[in-house]
Amino acid sequence: MGEVILKMDGIQKYFPGVHALDNAHLEVRAGEVMALVGENGAGKSTLMKILTGIYQKDGGSIEYFGQEIEIHGPRDAQSKGICIVHQELNLMQDLTVAENIFIGREPSKGLFLNQGEQNRMTEELLSSLHLNINARTQIKRLTVAKQQMVEIAKALSYQNTKVLIMDEPSTALTASEIEDLFTFIRQLKATGVGIVYISHRMDELKQITDRITVMRDGQYVDTVNTADTTIDQVVQMMVGRVIYEEPKSHSNVPPDAEVVLEAEGLTSLDVKNVSFKLHKGEILGFAGLMGAGRTETMRLLCGADKRDSGTIKVRGKEVNIRSPKDAVNAGIGYLSEDRKLFGLCLGLSVADNTALPSLDKLSGPLFVDDGKIHKAATEYVDKIRIKTPTVKTLIRSLSGGNQQKVVIAKWLHRDCDVLIFDEPTKGIDVGAKSEIYKLMNQLAAEGKSIIMISSELPELLRMSDRVVVMCEGRVTGELDISEATQERIMTFATKRELEEAV
Amino acid sequence: MKLNEKKIDMQKVLAPAALVILYVFFSVVGDGFLSMTVFKNILESSYYIGFMAFGVTFIIITGGIDLSLGTVMMCAALLGAYTFKQLHFPLIVSLLVAVLVGAVFGFLNGVMVAKLKLPPFIATLGTMMMSQGFGSIITKVQSQTWPTATEPVGGWFKKVFIRADLFGVKGFPVGVFWLIGFFVIAALILHKTKFGRYVFAIGSNEEAARLSGINVDNWKIAVYTLSGIFVGLSGIMYAAAYTTITPGTGNGQEMNGITGVVIGGTSMSGGSGTMVGTLIGVFIMSVLKTGLSNLNLQAPWQTFFTGLVVIGAVLLDIQRTKAANRVKKS
Amino acid sequence: MNKKRLFAAILSAAMMLSLAACGGGDKGGTSGSQPSGGSQPSGGSSTSQPSGGDGEKIFIPVMAKGFQHQFWQAVKQGADAAAADLGVEIYFDGPGSETEIDKQVNMVKDQMAKNPKAMALAALSTDAVKEILAECAEKNIPVIGFDSGVPDDTSGAVKATAATNNEAAAALAAEKFGEHEGLVAKMQAATSAEPVVIGCISQDAVSASVTGRTIGFVNKMAEIAEKYQPGKVSIEGHTLWEKKVADPAIIIRVEISATTEATAVQTAATSLLGAKGLAAVFCSNEGAVTGFLAAVSDGEDLAEGGRYADLVVAGFDAGAAQKNAVRQGWFYGSVTQDPYQIGYKAVEMAVKAANGEAVSDVDTGAQWYNAENIDDEMIALLVYD
Repeated sequence: MGEVILKMDGIQKYFPGVHALDNAHLEVRAGEVMALVGENGAGKSTLMKILTGIYQKDGGSIEYFGQEIEIHGPRDAQSKGICIVHQELNLMQDLTVAENIFIGREPSKGLFLNQGEQNRMTEELLSSLHLNINARTQIKRLTVAKQQMVEIAKALSYQNTKVLIMDEPSTALTASEIEDLFTFIRQLKATGVGIVYISHRMDELKQITDRITVMRDGQYVDTVNTADTTIDQVVQMMVGRVIYEEPKSHSNVPPDAEVVLEAEGLTSLDVKNVSFKLHKGEILGFAGLMGAGRTETMRLLCGADKRDSGTIKVRGKEVNIRSPKDAVNAGIGYLSEDRKLFGLCLGLSVADNTALPSLDKLSGPLFVDDGKIHKAATEYVDKIRIKTPTVKTLIRSLSGGNQQKVVIAKWLHRDCDVLIFDEPTKGIDVGAKSEIYKLMNQLAAEGKSIIMISSELPELLRMSDRVVVMCEGRVTGELDISEATQERIMTFATKRELEEAV
Repeated sequence: MKLNEKKIDMQKVLAPAALVILYVFFSVVGDGFLSMTVFKNILESSYYIGFMAFGVTFIIITGGIDLSLGTVMMCAALLGAYTFKQLHFPLIVSLLVAVLVGAVFGFLNGVMVAKLKLPPFIATLGTMMMSQGFGSIITKVQSQTWPTATEPVGGWFKKVFIRADLFGVKGFPVGVFWLIGFFVIAALILHKTKFGRYVFAIGSNEEAARLSGINVDNWKIAVYTLSGIFVGLSGIMYAAAYTTITPGTGNGQEMNGITGVVIGGTSMSGGSGTMVGTLIGVFIMSVLKTGLSNLNLQAPWQTFFTGLVVIGAVLLDIQRTKAANRVKKS
Repeated sequence: MNKKRLFAAILSAAMMLSLAACGGGDKGGTSGSQPSGGSQPSGGSSTSQPSGGDGEKIFIPVMAKGFQHQFWQAVKQGADAAAADLGVEIYFDGPGSETEIDKQVNMVKDQMAKNPKAMALAALSTDAVKEILAECAEKNIPVIGFDSGVPDDTSGAVKATAATNNEAAAALAAEKFGEHEGLVAKMQAATSAEPVVIGCISQDAVSASVTGRTIGFVNKMAEIAEKYQPGKVSIEGHTLWEKKVADPAIIIRVEISATTEATAVQTAATSLLGAKGLAAVFCSNEGAVTGFLAAVSDGEDLAEGGRYADLVVAGFDAGAAQKNAVRQGWFYGSVTQDPYQIGYKAVEMAVKAANGEAVSDVDTGAQWYNAENIDDEMIALLVYD
């Protein structure tokens, strides 16, 4: 392992009313992958913003190649060789790979752009990174994983990059794409670049990182060698308490349980003849790779998209679902994977968000009954432990986990018996995750039926009573939890139509 | 968190404070600004803008915009006067015609935006021209007059809507009752009904609202239609204040309404706003215009300063949002 | 911190306002300091109150129909000159465009709040200011109409009007058409198969002055045309003046633009220029001329060798573009009112009325000008730039 190239020590940062960083510490060696982990709000982002010059530190020191430095702004950081790949991709979808990489510093000939030179330089860069991407391709024609790699290539195109920060690079990637990313990271390591890797996915840390730095509540906790620690130990350091983990070994649902929801032959552009049954009190997992059509299937179920054919039965009775309104009336609630885009009205309060689908019940002949709304919201805040100052607080000031709980509250209050959770723990930190799990188990025990889409197999195996696996819009397998393993699920998930035909 | 609450309180006092400061300023600097006559002038030039602004507040909170306000208002006033003077309808029916014209154009806007998925800017740009042309076609480009106070038929028009001898006051500005009355109605609808709650939800996140089982399309049509009704009413108030309606006008009036809403703190990106803010925003503009005119500053100055106030108001709004976000992130 | 920022914003806004106010006040001060009444011993020149300090000075608002045309600037010059001569203070203002009735009403209301001794008014709509006129009558504030004045006033507040007789003035243009040899020849030679078209472009069918001019021109033109083609003269274009006959040999076509904006007038002019057999065009005010010139490549199409070189064109009012067209000989000629006189007389009569003297209507006259006499001293005074 190489020399220490970056050392942040005793970093302090204050925001109005908040001590965001208190004595934060981070050390990166050349040619290593250093994981930076911590729950949301632990201060990882703030620390990285100080490192990349977006914020200025209020105290402490940054040592870079043995010299104490000040970082004055994002450009300064870049010129010093410290680059970041953000969680959200910052690429212009309509421009080509080359145009994106060289935006703002395009090679030119006199007044005009030198497209040829730009493409040549890009191809050189891409091939040096062993990336099989055409420089002239429009970004929107690439998969998310490839786009991610273009982002990284862009960061590395600043020739002297010595420290590369990757903020949750794997969130949008499928399992095989993550493998590609890791291969790429390993190649990068070999060139002597120090990498800071931020992730919520514990299993990834084992695979790719050399050391792990843990932060909690703005403070430095510890740095450990990945090889010498277990994930459980890391999680304990993160949350400061022991997390209760227990994989499910058998289904909790009696075999004769009532069928609450039955889908038959659901078909649309991305969904091909999907059928399944959901029982009372059951948690039905939906596994599959990105683009397997799981979300699309659920959008048909909840009326968000129109289906071409297929029937939906609720408690044995066929219901004609043509709009979300019909689905809601049938008692089907959908919790989207993208809460901010599809689940919540960020500008409204906790109470108003909770009441949104059930305003009919909460209104008098003319006016809404704010008293009732507050009472209902307060009830759920207590029941499912939503952490919020008051129910009047705007939802945007809540943490991800608590926002997710408000979405749950909104459907519970609407008396939905079928709850569809689409990636319920995406972007939620470990502590909140286990809370969501507990809540889902509790709901199932109370007789609600739950469909859960997840790309994290351990999560599926831990929560589901039964797992439906999809691939390319079709159901390719169904497993009882007692017989489900990661390997078997992956076999079904990659079972392409061609292979099946053979 | 505490800081956040404080900021919101600041926002609540900012607009009223600006209104009071402006009024005091003009009272000190102006020539007889602090008088009943001038006060009445301020009120009377606020009525029609107020109604327009109440209506478009709903639209702007849903994240939309209505550029057809001004010309639809004129079209409503024109057709009302036309049916009264040329077709000899009873005045009360003509008033209903005006409201109906507003509602129909509003409904049309709503259908185009909600069902045909046209961007509100384009849809209402279309109706802006259509309504202007339509008014001119029907009236054969003849200006139309509403009854004045002394006319035997319909002389009550002005007495009911603009000023009457009431409570022993000569020329009491009765229009203020209508303005406040409809302000209360608009505020109740926006802040206290299911409809209003959906308006905020749609503006805040249309897709989330749809997935919550709200029929977003129909509610949007309702929003534009409601706004249209308010625009129709503003046509009546305009007619009561200015009597003569010229075809081919109304372009630019929509900006009076929209400006009032924006000064009142409603965000153009939708999802937040208050009706009382709109009312105050409208009064700020009227006080500013009347005050500048009182200082013998000609119309271009008034336009100039109104522009300054709009930019100032929006800048403050951005500052507030920024501050709020900063607190949230840390 | 936020509070500080707010205060700074309000403070700077207030400062700008008071600066602007001082600017406005200064203007009032200089115009008032020229006449004899200006040398008051109190020396309170710093206060910008127009009527507060020295109660003797008469304050008269002069409310015009617009600022858009140079015409109004000439009226203002006349009004300012009268104010200086008579030692009164005036405030001249008008809405940005002549369709902004509401702006003018607000303007007049705001000035009424200052209790003026008299008022000069060119109303965009009499109905719209009816209540204000009633108030004037009640408070004994005499109103003097100017330009188009305040037609059909019933309150009795309007004591007299200083205006051009628009019908007579426009008829002058028709008479001049009757003296044009080429045009007369065309009218004589006209047949039902190939009728001659004489156009009239007006900005609107609403304002009394433009309507008056349109009527004046159309009637006189019809009268002259009847001499050459009895019974075969048709008036078309706008329902208000329509008088159609079967198989006309001479068509007098009235084009009214959709709005008063220059582009709308241009559209109307273009449509008229497309008419077959078009021989002559009369534009009834400066706005109509501007729009018309835009439709003929700023007048170049009217010049020797241009597309419309044979077209006989007459305008009304003045303005730089129109004067140029007349001077170049592109226009046959134009009729001008006397805007300076209108402004001067309006203020003069208002002062008389304020002092209780009797006043009566004044015709401020009209003149025909063409390439030959445009630079005569008499005419040059009347035609504003």
